[in-house]
Amino acid sequence: MGTDIPLFHYVVLSGILFAIGGIGFMVRRNVLFSLLSIEILLNAVNLSLVAFNRLRPQNHTGHILTFFVIAAEAAEVAVGLAIVISLYRLKRTVRVDEADLLRN
Amino acid sequence: MDILIALSPIVAVSVGALLLMLAEAFSKQRSGIALGAAVIQASGAVFAGAVWIYGLDALSGLDVLKPWLIVDRFTLFFDMLICLGGALASLLAGGYLREHRIERGEFYALMLFATIGAMMIASAGDTLTLFIGLETMSIGAYAMTAFRRGSQRSTEAAVKYFLLGSFAAALLLYGFALLYGATGHTDLAGLAASLKGNETQFPQLAVIGMLLVIVGLAFKVSAVPFHAWTPDAYEGAPTPATSYMAVAVKAGAFAMLMRVLFVAFGDERSMSWFAGWPPVVAALAVVTMSVANLIAGRQESVKRMLAYSSIAHAGYLLVGVVCATRGGEALSSVLFYLLTYTVSTIGAFGGLILCGSYGKEAVSYEDLSGLGKRNPAVALPLAFFCMSLAGIPPTAGFFGKWYLIKSAMDGGFHWLAIIALVNSVFGAYYYLRVLVFLYMREPAAGAPVAVPMKSGYVAAALILAAVFVVMLGLSPDSAIDVATKATIAVQ
Repeated sequence: MGTDIPLFHYVVLSGILFAIGGIGFMVRRNVLFSLLSIEILLNAVNLSLVAFNRLRPQNHTGHILTFFVIAAEAAEVAVGLAIVISLYRLKRTVRVDEADLLRN
Repeated sequence: MDILIALSPIVAVSVGALLLMLAEAFSKQRSGIALGAAVIQASGAVFAGAVWIYGLDALSGLDVLKPWLIVDRFTLFFDMLICLGGALASLLAGGYLREHRIERGEFYALMLFATIGAMMIASAGDTLTLFIGLETMSIGAYAMTAFRRGSQRSTEAAVKYFLLGSFAAALLLYGFALLYGATGHTDLAGLAASLKGNETQFPQLAVIGMLLVIVGLAFKVSAVPFHAWTPDAYEGAPTPATSYMAVAVKAGAFAMLMRVLFVAFGDERSMSWFAGWPPVVAALAVVTMSVANLIAGRQESVKRMLAYSSIAHAGYLLVGVVCATRGGEALSSVLFYLLTYTVSTIGAFGGLILCGSYGKEAVSYEDLSGLGKRNPAVALPLAFFCMSLAGIPPTAGFFGKWYLIKSAMDGGFHWLAIIALVNSVFGAYYYLRVLVFLYMREPAAGAPVAVPMKSGYVAAALILAAVFVVMLGLSPDSAIDVATKATIAVQ
């Protein structure tokens, strides 16, 4: 593979992506940003799966799982956006903190 | 052919779901769809029962499915449980959706696909199949939550459920990705083998991965402190969707939790009290029971109270999961408890549905005041199933709790058993409060009172659930026998 970037770098990068996604998810109150954060989290997952697959090049377990994650996420986001649109139609806002009908 | 027989429960529901969608698209008549969905899910349960009786040893060639799908008695037990819950929930939907003018066939298709997802989780032997099953189940549940499109509550519930649900799925996946990095395996059996042999290349990654997986699982079974979505999602969703989430989705989540904890993390070190997951899960169990019971007692909405009650029940189930690390009957008591919880919860939500009608839905305790005197036949189911949830003999709920606490004592977890016992005594308070409002209160002058609805579907679901509750309460032996056989596969 020539002058490869070491695996460690990929792992750290995916950790950083995961942290960004996680913090973004907890801090931002806008549903669209929360959706974006979830996408970043899943990209961290995919990156680490593909990177770890380099340790075991004889089979493609990590690659296959990545494809399925991408596909399933596309389906999930489709439903998520539909729910967000439905929220916007009713409340004219996509902020979670303004959706506060349900509480103890 | 043998493979087809082994997979017949999931195949039956899948084919049925597709046929139901076709029938819904071409038929003018709407009212039969709910019955169709119930029959399809019941047939899934019947197929699972048939395979159970036929015996899996008689089937050859199942190795082809490895490692993706596992068909064992554990799988079949959950297939039956999930299909039973789903069938009863679709009967409830048949009455509720029509009464509340949201009768559309998609609801049943979504429910059937969610059921397929839950059944797939129960038979998953690899992260890949586990994840696909989880997503299939969750996406169906999100859409069912948002089903009442004109309602702000329903949509808000769906937004919260969706966001935290996909966040949890991402945590779970990242955990599995790290475990894959550490061990090179995504299949649960392979994971177990490398964790057992200590063949992990990066032990730190494996530990972080396990922790993330456990957090993800805790989200999915709604253990405190990862429960924030549950009350909102349960309260805002249409009641049949709530009941479905409380039984079938929860059963799927517990199937996943047990399969991962006892198969993938089932080696001696991971299951030890000092270096493994049991203390974490025990802490989750204690916090879940106590906090959920405390908050449940302070709710004004009965639906929200039932949501917290389902969180508390998840806590009791986690107690059983911890105790099962020492073997014994604990794991079969968990499965039996899930069964009693399923029928009691479906009944309680059904009873609540029956107490209200279009525009006059029964939500708060006040809505129920005096219903027992005005309309005894309608109040009786809710009262009966609340007694079962509280664990009052001779109902199924009592026996489920007794068996769970007894097996915790036998396993030497006296402190956990005592905490569970104290919690279930305190928990009885808010269930009995429902009875107090039903039978001992009069509605305040001029207050809006709930007007009961009439529906054959709801009545059928309630009668079926009541039969189960009484039977499991009076003669639980055969059900316990089945649960015990189901646990052999994972212990």
